[in-house]
Amino acid sequence: MTSIGTGYDLSNSVFSPDGRNFQVEYAAKAVENGGTAIGIRCEGGVVLAVEKIITSKLLKPDANKRIATVDRHVGIVSAGLVPDGRHFVSRARDEAASWRSVYKGPIPVSALSNRLGSYVQAYTLYSSVRPFGVTAIVGGWDSEAELAVDGQVGSGPKLGSGGKVDGAKAGGPGLYMIEPSGLYWGYHGAATGKGRQAAKAELEKLDLSSGNLSLIDAVKEAARIIYVAHEDSKDKEFELEMSWVSSLDGPTHGRHEEVPRQLLEEAEKAAKKALEGEDDDEEEEQEETKDSGNSGERMEE
Amino acid sequence: MNHYPEIWGRPRDDIYGPYNSSYLQTTGPKTYTQSPAVTGTSVIAVKFNGGVAIVADNLASYGSLARFTDVKRLRVFSDSAVIGFSGDVSDMQYIHRLLGSIDIRENYSTHGNMLNAKNLHTYLSKVLYKRRSEFNPLWNHLLVAGFDEDKNPFLSSADLLGTTYSAPHLATGFGAHLAIPILRRLFPEEKPLEEITKEHAEAALRECLKVLWYRDARSLDKYSMAVITAEGIELKEDQVIGAQSWAFAESIKGYGAQIN
Amino acid sequence: MMSFMGNQPHNEAVGYSFSQPTYVPNKEHSFYPYTDNGGSTLGITGADFAILAGDTRSVAGYNINSRYAPKVFKIGGDDDTGEGAHILLSVVGFAADGQALKERLDAVVKMYKYQHGKSMSVRACAQRLSTILYQKRFFPYYVHAILAGLDEEGKGALYSYDPVGSYEREQCRAAGSAASLIMPFLDNQVNFKNQYIPGSGDGHALEPKKPEPLPRETVEQLVRDAFTSAVERHIEVGDGLQMIVITQNGIEEIYTPLKKD
Repeated sequence: MTSIGTGYDLSNSVFSPDGRNFQVEYAAKAVENGGTAIGIRCEGGVVLAVEKIITSKLLKPDANKRIATVDRHVGIVSAGLVPDGRHFVSRARDEAASWRSVYKGPIPVSALSNRLGSYVQAYTLYSSVRPFGVTAIVGGWDSEAELAVDGQVGSGPKLGSGGKVDGAKAGGPGLYMIEPSGLYWGYHGAATGKGRQAAKAELEKLDLSSGNLSLIDAVKEAARIIYVAHEDSKDKEFELEMSWVSSLDGPTHGRHEEVPRQLLEEAEKAAKKALEGEDDDEEEEQEETKDSGNSGERMEE
Repeated sequence: MNHYPEIWGRPRDDIYGPYNSSYLQTTGPKTYTQSPAVTGTSVIAVKFNGGVAIVADNLASYGSLARFTDVKRLRVFSDSAVIGFSGDVSDMQYIHRLLGSIDIRENYSTHGNMLNAKNLHTYLSKVLYKRRSEFNPLWNHLLVAGFDEDKNPFLSSADLLGTTYSAPHLATGFGAHLAIPILRRLFPEEKPLEEITKEHAEAALRECLKVLWYRDARSLDKYSMAVITAEGIELKEDQVIGAQSWAFAESIKGYGAQIN
Repeated sequence: MMSFMGNQPHNEAVGYSFSQPTYVPNKEHSFYPYTDNGGSTLGITGADFAILAGDTRSVAGYNINSRYAPKVFKIGGDDDTGEGAHILLSVVGFAADGQALKERLDAVVKMYKYQHGKSMSVRACAQRLSTILYQKRFFPYYVHAILAGLDEEGKGALYSYDPVGSYEREQCRAAGSAASLIMPFLDNQVNFKNQYIPGSGDGHALEPKKPEPLPRETVEQLVRDAFTSAVERHIEVGDGLQMIVITQNGIEEIYTPLKKD
């Protein structure tokens, strides 16, 4: 941090002598204060979840959604400055619509993430703008079915030249995370916001690359991880918001939707129970330590 | 070789003949679509107790050529409405994409798509009217089937001029001549909707399609039927009109050159 | 370059083709943006009321599109119920233009109330409608409109229009496909044309019967008679009769069936 205070951190698009763009780093700081957002990618689809800190009792419960639908098959959740997130989503919707108008079909999640990455990156290049104060998680499902062109009238030849290829594989889940620098990677599990460290640790335990997690279990894990990540800011109340997108034969038929009320409550209940379980363990441990003569600091609990 | 560089390499008229540039329209008014190209024929629909049934055959004609025989002319909008298109197929595809983008935008909100068939019909009629007013018509006549805001069965029509009208049974194209009289006889407008069952409606539409198959040269025996009720939309796209026969023609007497 | 080359062949034995403006004779547009949806409308005023009526048939050529497609609208009221309206408009001719015109006038009357905090007078509305029609002088709304309401003194007011906005206030007016059948009947029965006071004199000295505002019952019956007669003689008129009466006490809508043949 030798360059801090030397003026290199005041303007966007200016490198410091040791090759850093401080404005981008400060944007990343804004993200670190946002409510935790995560995404889990599994065989059957993608789950997005966000810890929505309740900043006022006057806010209507369940309103003010933080996960946005971009196209039929894509959702975005972000951590950081909410208005920046809104603008980001607006751009994503425009990109998805423009792709449709050119290619007459849904935008692949990878292509959307690429365009959004470029868009965010452009905001690091000019002194007249500031970088995005959000890290966004883009989750979606590219249809595994042979895609019809939007508006297509017939179904094409059934066999022979131009006919269908049996067993051809296409599509699948997509999960990407885009940072204020414009950097984006594809992930099995992504986490950002205040509780990202705890969330990442939990995501790693899931062994997502093995492909053994079912979508329903992913929903439950996502809920639990948000609860775990919330442990560090326990004094604040929060709402859990979750969305998912499944394969065509899955529960959402390839569409990005809110997780149904019932399933959400179920997942939330399980998450709380899991946490209580941990607390019990901790308390038991505490008991043991107390018994062993230590004066417990957490006695008043 | 000559001294005119701009003609070097050009085809010589004495070898290739003069270039026919008549297709390059350089004078006259700017024009848009003056006539449809690939077209679909009739769409027919009836209201019944608790819903609406709508049919269209699967043919797209290029003039008198039966060009495409697996064309889906009934389009579902977001589980709330079915639109039956007759007229230009490319304009139908355009409208379909237009509706797709509206559906996507509607779904940005967590309430989901709240447009009912009536809203959709109003919207489409305005799109059509605007385009006719720009002398750039969308060459379609369409029927919109679904429910209105009070959950009553809704059926209405809009054409390339933006003209709209509604009735318990509607048909476009040749169907207006051949199917409407059949439907008016089967379901007089005085007859309460409650007395018309879904099965009645479906059977009547099949009968109409058969008559159209016999007498509309631009029709096909493969068709699609959609039935929209409170439970949702049931769309069958690979239906076939069965048991047609021209044998009856033998017994027709008293027309044309035939004497007895 | 092209200019000195022109389209003239070079002074050589062989010719070459250059893109040149070709004359294409002016082609008539084969898209015609209008159609006639038939039907007829009629308006009559009395001392303290106005009636606007129209049949409900909509046609395309010899086809009946619908047996219930209203041509008379309440202006400036609730979209669904028409509640709060104080002006009536009938449109006959090209139905899509009629619909568009009705919606524009409705918006104008509503905006007037939002901006000025009072209802638009029928007189002002009548002038505004004329302007709207004339603005499309070179691509007209192909409709014959009739506007009705109560004037500042509470008397029945009726204004009739041609498609490009020429208008006048009248006692009565018939428009649409059966106008030529109904109008002479109205001249005789409302304005008492060709009616004379018996025994008032011979030849030119015969005194014409003075027209006076008619009572509502009489006018309603005249409207019914006019339409039942028009239905007999005009194929585009029929199915139903929609009558809207505007009085001090509000707006009343009456529907009566007509022959469906």
